[in-house]
Amino acid sequence: MARGRLFNATFGWARTYFQRHRGTASAPLFVSLGTLKAIVACHLLWEHGISFGGAAGSSMLPTFSVYGDYLLVSKYYRRGRDLHVGDLVFYDIPIFRRAQGVKRIMGLPGDYVLHGDPDTGSQVMIQVPQGHCWITGDNLESSRDSRVFGPLPLALVRGKVLAKIWPPQEAHWIRNGLEDSKSSENDSVALSS
Amino acid sequence: MALSSIWRRGGWQRAFFGDLTVRLFGFASWIPLIIWVRYNVADISNIHGPSMFPFLNEDIDTSWKRDVVLNWKWDCKQNLHRGMVVTFRSPYSPETVVVKRIIALEGDLVRTRPPYPDPVVKVPQGHVWVEGDGPEGKSIDSNTYGPIAIQLITGRVTHILYPWRKFGSVKWWEYKPRPWLPSSRDFEAT
Repeated sequence: MARGRLFNATFGWARTYFQRHRGTASAPLFVSLGTLKAIVACHLLWEHGISFGGAAGSSMLPTFSVYGDYLLVSKYYRRGRDLHVGDLVFYDIPIFRRAQGVKRIMGLPGDYVLHGDPDTGSQVMIQVPQGHCWITGDNLESSRDSRVFGPLPLALVRGKVLAKIWPPQEAHWIRNGLEDSKSSENDSVALSS
Repeated sequence: MALSSIWRRGGWQRAFFGDLTVRLFGFASWIPLIIWVRYNVADISNIHGPSMFPFLNEDIDTSWKRDVVLNWKWDCKQNLHRGMVVTFRSPYSPETVVVKRIIALEGDLVRTRPPYPDPVVKVPQGHVWVEGDGPEGKSIDSNTYGPIAIQLITGRVTHILYPWRKFGSVKWWEYKPRPWLPSSRDFEAT
């Protein structure tokens, strides 16, 4: 091989490396690269497919307990794709840098929602702006939600909560109660006609 | 002769197609890594529209060619400063990524432009105020949708790659804020 001395000085290590590991897939370089590719593939599945994690806090009582619940989250619904009023969403809290929460969707773009607490008797309604949603916790007394930080941009929605998976005796799929009532209404109409 | 019999005969055909499968898998195994780098480390983006004129797309009225920039994504939500050019998901349409300049950080008082209803606004916790460099009315920015959450930010424009004459890093620290002058909107409000 008539290569220059500069070439050999620069790439000689690579030739030595491949000659030493010729015909084997176990070269350390290939193994570490394969591991890296596998980790990255898992990360993408976690961010764009499905993930699970622990939930803590009193804002979603009685749906989720204060501590020790684990939730299954589908990332298909990220950025508000295919969401409906009544769904539980996993979202980035807009007033914090690195914090996520779980809340229930109360209004989608164009809907009119109550701006404050129902207890106060306030009748002030606001219209949810385009690209936003209105979220509240199930436990209104101790929940930091749209009543504090206003409408949530749908771009901050990371996914939809599909199921509670832990503790095992309480494990169940989360169903949207509003969707169920809507379909049963349709059924009754169909029966009466 | 049917194709399946050729396949079953083995020989070089089988060696070729078997080798092809391995090669295709080898190429495909790189795809997640490439996607991950583009989401989390850096990406090369084209700029559409006049909202950052004249800083980006300076030739928008004379050329079909659009500016190309390096969009740095790694750790982009930390250490934000006034004058930085950032990309973020538009609060009005979640699937759209837009590019604007940071005018004010959380806690700052900003003098707004129309159509924002209040003449002066304080940027709330975890938010920034962003505006396009373009003339008033050419850009849909915080003056339309208010302060944006830092969590919406997807990257920082750190380098301009094309056109060649503008090639180089973005000198955001040379940004001069608008002078705080009294405007007629102050008197309208009172």
